[in-house]
Amino acid sequence: MTNTAVLVNEFGKVGLDHHLLRRADERTVLLEHGCVCCTTREDLVDALLNFLDDEDKGRIPALDRVVVETTGLADPAPILFTVFSHPVLQHHYYVERVISTADALNGHLHLDRNPEATRQVAASDVVVLTKTDVAEDGEIGTLRDRLQRINPSARIIEAPLGEVDPAELLRPAADWNGSVPIPGTLMVEDGDDAHVSRTHSTSVTFDGPVDWAAFGTWLSMLLHARGEDVLRVKGLLDVGEAGPVLLNGVQHVMHPPEHLEEWPDDDRQSRIIFIARGISSEELLASLEAFRPIIGAGPRLLEANAPV
Amino acid sequence: MCVLCGRDFVAQAHWANRHIEDKARVSGSDPLEYQRDRRRDRVHRAALTNEVLRHYGLRVEDWSGSKYLLRDKKGRSEIVQDLGALWPAAEKLASCPLDPLDPALLHTLTEGD
Repeated sequence: MTNTAVLVNEFGKVGLDHHLLRRADERTVLLEHGCVCCTTREDLVDALLNFLDDEDKGRIPALDRVVVETTGLADPAPILFTVFSHPVLQHHYYVERVISTADALNGHLHLDRNPEATRQVAASDVVVLTKTDVAEDGEIGTLRDRLQRINPSARIIEAPLGEVDPAELLRPAADWNGSVPIPGTLMVEDGDDAHVSRTHSTSVTFDGPVDWAAFGTWLSMLLHARGEDVLRVKGLLDVGEAGPVLLNGVQHVMHPPEHLEEWPDDDRQSRIIFIARGISSEELLASLEAFRPIIGAGPRLLEANAPV
Repeated sequence: MCVLCGRDFVAQAHWANRHIEDKARVSGSDPLEYQRDRRRDRVHRAALTNEVLRHYGLRVEDWSGSKYLLRDKKGRSEIVQDLGALWPAAEKLASCPLDPLDPALLHTLTEGD
């Protein structure tokens, strides 16, 4: 974790987190005005630009990474958007991963009551289970299961007593190298009785290479129409080149897709997961099927390769 | 716009065509090849998008390699930068939401198969 800067966001007047994070001393920048995503996007830009400036002037050692700690209520999408769309930041930073924490004692309650919690889990690459030392095994198991059902592509790790190995947390993503079980379709109901919404995750493959421009057209149209409800799109897409296109999007914000030089493993079929609220797997598949002549290949559900 | 080459300087490439823009930034890349790739991609993309827009009575065409020109059958038109701007503009001209999950659109697409 050397050469890592930490940006701490404060919500409320008591800067408790700021004091706890003193160890990061001068590289810790306190963002003002609370929520990072909406009100202080400019602060995030300023803070990240300041790091570049300080680095250039030799005031701080060259940074390997910046950790942005958001409020518990933050929606990750606007933060990603800030980095991807800013004319300077987009060329100097890339988003490595989104990490969220889930309280093993109250996780179910948060997921029941706060729609943001589901959004955060869907947007995450890693979910850290905290307070596992005080929660019961059964409780941890059901929460783990629920989190994995919301986002089958997330890696879940436990942090008993708040201890987590940074190397494990920041381990290069083994994502989509075949080790992640991808169930065909999953549906989770969230919310209390008065407000139930359904989050579906759908894993899709295609019966051949797809036309990247056409798939981009379909996906951009989907994100235009239903961006708020498409919590996550992630996967590898066979576009008929030597390597696949790595897709990663959170709501209407897409990571710049990477055209990889080669496939990460022997499995050379497209595999994409859609995590969406209020859009059923059938609707997605029907749409892709109708777009088959344009996209150049037909969709089919990926079979579950692990019981969930 | 650059008065010498007629090209716009666009700070943000839409994610769907970022790979072509990125190729141009690699040192030693052939600018002519980049222009050819880009043109080809734009014409191809316009043709694909028209398959979808047909349902709404709209057409899009590449406009001098820098923008897209979107028209309806009444002669109204909108100039858009990329796919990100296309859908809201198309929605405005069509006066209805454009949704790839809309069964009516899916019916048109499969019928034309």
